[in-house]
Formats: sequence, structure tokens, C-alpha cells
Amino acid sequence: MMIDFEVFIRILIYGATISGIWALIASGFTLIFGVSRILNFAHGAFFILGAYFGIMFIHSLGLDPYTSTMIGMAMVGLLAIAAYKGIMSPVREHEVMVIIVTLALALFLEQLVLIIFGEHGISFPSMIGGVSFIFGVPISNVRLLTLLIAITALFLLGFFIDKTRLGREITAASQDAEAATLTGMNIEKLFTITIFISAILAALGGSLFAQIYAVNPFLTLKALIFAFAIVILGGLGSVRGSIVAAFIVGYILTIVIILFGARWAELVAILIIIAILVLKPTGLFGVKE
Amino acid sequence: MAWKVKVSVVHFTDRRILGMIALIATGAIIPIFIPEALIYILGLTCLFVILAVSWDLIVGYTGQINLGHTVFVGVGAYVAALSQVPSRFEGTELGFLVYMPIPPIPLSILAGGLAAAIIGLIVGVITLRLKGWYFALVTAVLPLVFIQTTVIWREIFGGEEGFSIGLERALAPTSTGKYYAALVIMFVSVLIMFIIANSRIGLKFKTVREDSDLAEAVGINTTNYKILAFVISAFFAGIAGASMMHYRVTVGPDFYDVPLMLLIILAAVIGGLGTIFGPMVGGFIIYLAKFWWLKGTLPVIAALGLPLNDDMILYAILIVIAIFAPGGLWSKIKKLRLRASSSM
Repeated sequence: MMIDFEVFIRILIYGATISGIWALIASGFTLIFGVSRILNFAHGAFFILGAYFGIMFIHSLGLDPYTSTMIGMAMVGLLAIAAYKGIMSPVREHEVMVIIVTLALALFLEQLVLIIFGEHGISFPSMIGGVSFIFGVPISNVRLLTLLIAITALFLLGFFIDKTRLGREITAASQDAEAATLTGMNIEKLFTITIFISAILAALGGSLFAQIYAVNPFLTLKALIFAFAIVILGGLGSVRGSIVAAFIVGYILTIVIILFGARWAELVAILIIIAILVLKPTGLFGVKE
Repeated sequence: MAWKVKVSVVHFTDRRILGMIALIATGAIIPIFIPEALIYILGLTCLFVILAVSWDLIVGYTGQINLGHTVFVGVGAYVAALSQVPSRFEGTELGFLVYMPIPPIPLSILAGGLAAAIIGLIVGVITLRLKGWYFALVTAVLPLVFIQTTVIWREIFGGEEGFSIGLERALAPTSTGKYYAALVIMFVSVLIMFIIANSRIGLKFKTVREDSDLAEAVGINTTNYKILAFVISAFFAGIAGASMMHYRVTVGPDFYDVPLMLLIILAAVIGGLGTIFGPMVGGFIIYLAKFWWLKGTLPVIAALGLPLNDDMILYAILIVIAIFAPGGLWSKIKKLRLRASSSM
């Protein structure tokens, strides 16, 4: 198949945008797993709620897209803390139970959104309008802004983890939670902060996603599945790995979708996972279990 | 003399066996007393029980968290359905299958089980050498991929709506007949799994779960035993899926879907993992709760005008139970009973 220049540029930019969004989701998912060994199946719900909360504030309070995104993120973050304290923390010692309660929460929230907003996709009003020409190819400004926001957020995350005391405590806890407790760190506080960060990253991803595409309740599980694929490729527990993997998976999916159609996306995602598992079972940057 | 040996092998004094016999007796006479609509649901419940018990075999016995059990349910259902309606292959690359003879229903169900077992073998060989978490994640992804196949090859699988195989290919012509067929399928399946779980093989499964390093040290190939458990588990899930399909005479992506997976987990966990009998009881409670008792709450919800539905009530109950009894409801009850008897 011939790929002309315009398609090439489009793949380059569309791929970067969606990869940036997936990186926000996957890094949050792997962050909380790395620290607490919680596989948070409600992560996809945080993703769509980021978008739905934002849409709600815009339509009911007439806020602008920036403010409502921020408030939406904060609310999802608080919801995540409540979910951690209320249902994850009590069953943390039982691996299967953690999966059950978070999956049940995800399906509960999915149904709630379905009843309130309906099953059809809703778009988030764009933060910015207009079109820019990249090498003569028209690209909407909202895509470019999304990419910029996503990359800024990922850099802030990297800075937080590497350079701040709290971030280094999180790294220490993810390497050895017991030893971290012995050095006097407050593990519960650390987990609470981590779930908050993890959730606001997902919520930001959700409102960015909804500006370019649209959200519907069923993305709760779909977003989760793509996060899984990325995290398996990047190595469970490695934030850096999941960001790199998000761009690999994001580009492969973009190429597949542009050249063959969206319906092949999931199948290709699983083929990638299988290939990785056969070749390198712990992913690209996996941490010790 | 010979029969004496046999008796001791089957452990007739085992309370679990006695419980099962009581269940069979109850199951056999109950249709006389209940309305036909409930008989229909009760038959589906029997088939659902197979799913909970077979999930227990891999998760409860070998400790591998399989979140993609519905893949095998769906594969069993679709293979059985396509064997009954081979004309769906017409005009596809698999067109030669159109002239395949239509197998009788028992063979169709068996084919569903075997197909699921083969998929289980492939998935197991790739993923079961990995540490626990990766297995959980990969199996969680699989159902959505299989749902996608039904949309991609819509001419064959029928897309979101699925397709019907026609009433004349039902498990039995009447609701009561279907119920008895389901009851028999359940007891045969559960009995086979019970025997496996209580054999030397079952013991090795447990060794793999309790201490895989030790198991390796005493010469048990842990990966092979995990794969064996997974394939057996997949086989029975396929049998159950194919039977459910012949029961409903329709097939659709809901066989693969996540809400069904959650119901299976719920049944097994509430009943108590690693016990076979527990998930069986859990299966009855959960399936009837969802499709019989909770349906009764619908008018109440509608009257109150709350943004709720019966599924959400189920999920909320599930979360409460998980927090109240993280080790499973059964072990909680046992503990409470123990405390009550020791305080007397």
C-alpha cells in the first residue's frame, strides 16, 4: 500500500496525541501498582469520569473547559481517595478481593454513567479552536494542544518522582514497602497520595480524549484493557516503561486504524501483547514482583 | 470384597458427597413445586454452577488468577452454535465448512468443550510460565479481544446481536426437559471435577499453589500442572457455554462479556475458593440472586426514581461482602460458628 506524505504526517501527529493520552492512563495505573501492588480495575472509570465531570460542569455551571477539567480532575482524585480508604485498603491483603472490589466499582460507575448520560458518545467542548498547517497538512489545534498538555503532565510526573522527597519515597516504597515502613515512612499516607496522582492522571487523559474523540460508558473497560496492554509491554510497575510502551502501542494502533479501520484495534493490541510475552515475558522495563 | 474397596475410594461418609446426593434429590423433584419461568432460570443456574466450579479449579486449586474464563464460555457457545448452523460460513474463506454434517447435540456440546480446551492450552502455554500478575492481566484482556472477533467477522459470528440456531436444536423441547438436561450436565461435570480435585493430581495443584519452589524441589513441574488445571477448567467452561447456548438457542457476545466474568468470580469467592462444593452453592445463590430476586427490586427502584438498576445493587452488595469477608463468605461463617461453639 502506498502511503503518501499527508497520511504519513497524520499518522505522526495523531499517533503522538493518542499515545500521550494512553501514557497518562497507563503511567497512573502502573504507579499505584508499583507502590501498593493494587491492580486497580477502576482505573478506566476514573478515566471516563474525568471527561464526564468536566462535561457536567461546562453544561450545568457554564464553566470554561480549562477550569472544568481542573475541577473534574480534583473530584476524580478525591473519589479515588475515598475508594482507596473505603474499599481497597480493607481488602489489600487479598489479591483476588482487590480485583473484585475495583472491578465491581468500575462496573457500578459504568452503569451510573450509562443511566445518567446514556450510551451514546459525548464530546468535551474544545479548549481551543482552529486548524494549523504542519508541512501543509491541516491538523486541528485541539490535537496539538492535547499533545502539549499530555507531554507537560508526563514531564511533571517524571520531575515529581525523581526530584521531590515525596516522589523518592514513592519509588522507595515500590521497591520494598516493608523496608520503607521500617525507615519510618507512613505507607498509608503514601498510598493515598499515589492513588490521588494516579487518578488525576487518568482523569486528565479522559477529558483530553473526549475533546478529540468522544466518551461513552463502555470506555470504562476499553481504556482499562489498553492500559493493561501498555503496562504489560512496558513492564508492570515501571512508569518509564509504560510511557515508552504507550508510544509504541499508540503508534501501532494509529497505523492500524488509519490503514485498516478501527475494528482491528483490539485484535492487534492482543497480538502485540502475545508477541511481547513470548519474546520478553517481563516487558521492556519490568520491576521485580 | 471388591465393592468394599470401591466404597472407601468414593468416601460415601464424606459430608460433601452426602450434601451432593441431597442436592440431586432436591433438584430432581423441585420442578413439581415451582412455576415454569423459574424452572427455566433454575436450569441456566445449573449450567452457571459449572462455570463457578471450573473457575475454582484453576484459581482456587492452583492459585492462578484467571480473569478470562468467559473466553472459554464464549468459544464453547460459538463453536457449538456454528456446528449447528454451518450455512453461516457461506461466502467466507471457510466456505468449505458449509457441507459439514450437523452433529447431534451431545457431540456439539463436546465439540464446544474441546475447542475451549485447545484455546486454553494455547493461552496457558504462553502465559502460565509468567508470574501471577501478568497472567491476571493477559487473561483480563482476552475476553474483549474475542468480543471484537464477533464484530470483525460479522457474517460468521453475527456481530453484536449474535444469531439463533432455531428452536428445533434446543437441549430439549420443554422448559422442564431442558432443566433436567442441565441438571444432568451439571452433576456429571461437577462430579468429574470433584474427583480430579480430590485425586493425586488435585493434591499437586494445591502444592503448586501453596509453595511453587517447594513443588519444583520435589520434582513437580509446576508450569505443566498449572497448564493441566487450566485446560481442564477451560474444557468444562466450554461445555457449560455450549450447553447454555443449546438451552437459550441463541449465541451472542454476552457469553464473552465482563459482567458474566464478575458473576463467576463472585459465586466462587462467596462460596469459598479451593473447595468445589463452595462455588457450587455460591453459583446457585448468585445466579438466582441476579436473575430472580434482584429483578423484584426493579419496580421499587423505578418508583423511587433513583439512578440505579439491579446490576448496580448487585455490584454494591458484592463490594460490601468483599469488605465484610475478604476470605470468602464461607470461611467467615465457619469462623463465626467456631466462635459460637467455643463460647458455649
